[in-house]
Formats: sequence, C-alpha cells, structure tokens
Amino acid sequence: MKSQLIGFLMNFWISFSLALYFHSGEREEKCIIEDIPTDTLVIGNYKVQRWDIHKQEFLESAPGLGMFVTVTTPSAEVLLSKLYGPQGTFSFTSHLSGEHIICLESNSTRFVSFGGSKLRIHLDIRVGEHFLDESVVQAKDKVNEVNIRLEHLIEQVHHISKEQDYEREREEKFRKTSEETNSNILWWAIVQTLILISIGIWQIKSLRDFFISKKLV
Amino acid sequence: MVPVPWPGLLLGCLGLLLSPRAAAEFTPSLDSDFTFTLPAGRRECFYQPMRKEASLELEYQVLDGAGLDVDFHLLSPKGETLVFDERKSDGVHTVETEDGDYMFCFDNTFSTISEKVIFFELILDNMGEDGQDQEDWKKYVTGTDLLDMKLEDILESINSVKARLSKSVQIQTLLRAFEARDRNIQESNFDRVNFWSMVNLGVMVVVSAVQVYMLKSLFEDKRKSRT
Repeated sequence: MKSQLIGFLMNFWISFSLALYFHSGEREEKCIIEDIPTDTLVIGNYKVQRWDIHKQEFLESAPGLGMFVTVTTPSAEVLLSKLYGPQGTFSFTSHLSGEHIICLESNSTRFVSFGGSKLRIHLDIRVGEHFLDESVVQAKDKVNEVNIRLEHLIEQVHHISKEQDYEREREEKFRKTSEETNSNILWWAIVQTLILISIGIWQIKSLRDFFISKKLV
Repeated sequence: MVPVPWPGLLLGCLGLLLSPRAAAEFTPSLDSDFTFTLPAGRRECFYQPMRKEASLELEYQVLDGAGLDVDFHLLSPKGETLVFDERKSDGVHTVETEDGDYMFCFDNTFSTISEKVIFFELILDNMGEDGQDQEDWKKYVTGTDLLDMKLEDILESINSVKARLSKSVQIQTLLRAFEARDRNIQESNFDRVNFWSMVNLGVMVVVSAVQVYMLKSLFEDKRKSRT
C-alpha cells in the first residue's frame, strides 16, 4: 500500500517534468482564461518552485511557499479562492457558461523582490475530463483497466458534445450581433439623411426669415 | 469475482518494470491550450520540456485587442531562434525536438495602450521514450489466457478511439478560437457603428446650428448689409 502511494507520488512528480512552465515575479498574479460550457469540471495541477540566489537554481521544494488560486465566473463572482501548498490540485465546476478566469498568486511575504528572485510555475489544466493516472490504471487487472479506460472515453465524448452545444449558442450570439450591426448601419444612415434634410430646411427658413426681418431681402 | 490471471499479471508487471513510465501505446499525445491576456508593453514567455525525436506543434491566435497582432519567438534549448513572427495575428509551427526546454514568447511591447488576448495550443507527439521497446516486447507475449488476448484487442481499439477523440477536441478548440476572434471583431464593429454614427449626428446638428447663429451674429453687429 505504501509502495503504491510512493509510486503514485513519483508518477505525479515525474509527470510534471514534461508540463508547460513559466516564470513569474514573487507577488505577481498570473491569470488564464478558460471559456467553458456550463456544468463542466475543470481540474488544474500546478507545482511552484522558487529561485535560490545562492545555489543559482530552482529549489525542488520550498517550504512555506503557497499559491492563492482564485477562480472568477463570467458574472464576476468568485467561485473558488483558496490557498494551496507548493504543489497542488484544484478543481471547480462551472455553473454558468462563459469565460472563467483562473488566477495564481504566490503568498510570498517578500515586499521587495531581490534581483533575480522569481518563481517557476508548472501548470496543467484539464477541462471536462479527469486526469488518467497511467501507473494506477496499468497496475489493476485487465478487466478493471478496460472499465476505467471506457469510463474515461465516455467522459471525453460527453465533454465534446457539451462543447458542441456551447459552440452553437455562441454562434447564435455572433449571428445576432452581425445582423444587428447590419440593420443598425441602415437605420443610422436613414436617420442621418432625414436629419440632414430637415436641418437644411430649417437653416434656409431661419435665414430667410432673418433677412426678411432685417429688411435685406 | 474474476479469478486473477497470474501469468498475465506477471507479464504485466514485467512490462511495468521495463518502462517506468506508462507503456508507449497507452500514452496519448499530450497537448494543452491556454488563453491569457497580454497587457500592453509586456512580453510573456512559456517553457516546454521536450525529449529528443519528438515533435512539437505550436499554434497561436490573437483573439482580441486593437490590431490583432503580436510578435512571436520560438527558441531552442541552446538559445537559438527557431521562429520569429513579427506582428502576425495567427501562426502554426512544427519543430522536430531535441532534449531540453523550448521557450516561446509573445511580445506586445510595440503597443502602448492595447492589451491582447492570446490563445495558444501545444501538440506534442512521440513523447513515449520506450516506444520501440514496447512494440518488440509485445511480440514475445504469448497470452495463454484467451480473455487476456481479447481484452488486449479491446484496449487497442479504446486507445485508437481515444487518440481520435483527442484530435477532435484539438480541432474543436481551434474552431472555438477562430469563432471567438470573429465574434470579438463583430462586437467591436457594432460598438463602432453606433458610437461614430451618434457622434456624426451630434456634430452635424451642432455645426449647422453654429453656422446659422454665426451668420445671424454677423448681421447683428453691422446695421448695413454686406455687399
């Protein structure tokens, strides 16, 4: 049981060696936009390392270092706001469809960032499906493995279908905006022409009355 | 309760020992996509560790922001510039990789006021290191258990379905990015048409009123008519 746990953790650590990473300042907030349909599960894995000035390399583990993870919905309400450790997994399910913003900020208390002090953040975000842990799946017997893989596949198909529906919604909104722009252009042009004509008539009338009253005409 | 197939399990453990990572044929091509906001005058860099003889495909699009363009650099682990796109609004690049961390950057320093929303997608292929070993090893597996062999076939077809579904998801993500960009352009069109038409109308009315009153004021000051 313990060796299984260690194997699982090792795989987790190893799997991060191939994930995308980027650098960020000590108190800098980095945000990612995820445009997702409603009722979608989003799971994020991250690992953060701090640059050690003395050793001139990134420390493998930085005790006390944590990350604030904040998730904001399209209607600007906060869905998730928690402090996690140097390595963590966060997940949330969307209630609305639209652009959700996932922000990561470290809880570092250094107000002055020393020259060259930075953080390396490894990040992996999965939308609509759970992470499939390969070593755990392979260790089980074949029947269970088939079972697990089929369930994962079904999850994927559901996600694709949901994305498709959401895409239809957005295309409709897009079409409405286009048609509205089209009719607005015509409407504004007509209004402008009418106002131009009526102003012209008003101008001539007003000037003629003025000149008549001044006994110039 | 299914009786544990010991020969199959032993062979499975052997396979696990031979490759510390998952068997190559069950490791799908990894890919990830990110959408983020690049503030004006900033440059954001991302790093992707790669193995040798794998391939990295990178696709990016600018979804929002005046001008819809951004500078793009791709640097190899040795630091040489493999790709440099200047002020493009989208791009696709595929590189055959070697061991190391590839760095790619999006540069918005040429713009002082408009922030850009950038979408990029990474598609990694051939990342399974023991691909060849696994194929050879499979040849020597004589599954004495018929159930095992059938399950192997099922697993293979599940794997190929999964690969195709991953491809579908990728294409869907790409189409979503295209649609998002077009929708942003159209929404900006809508706002522009309304705003400038109103401004046009207002300016017209004001100018004509000013014209009339200025003419009138010219005649107020002088009693005689102008010749």
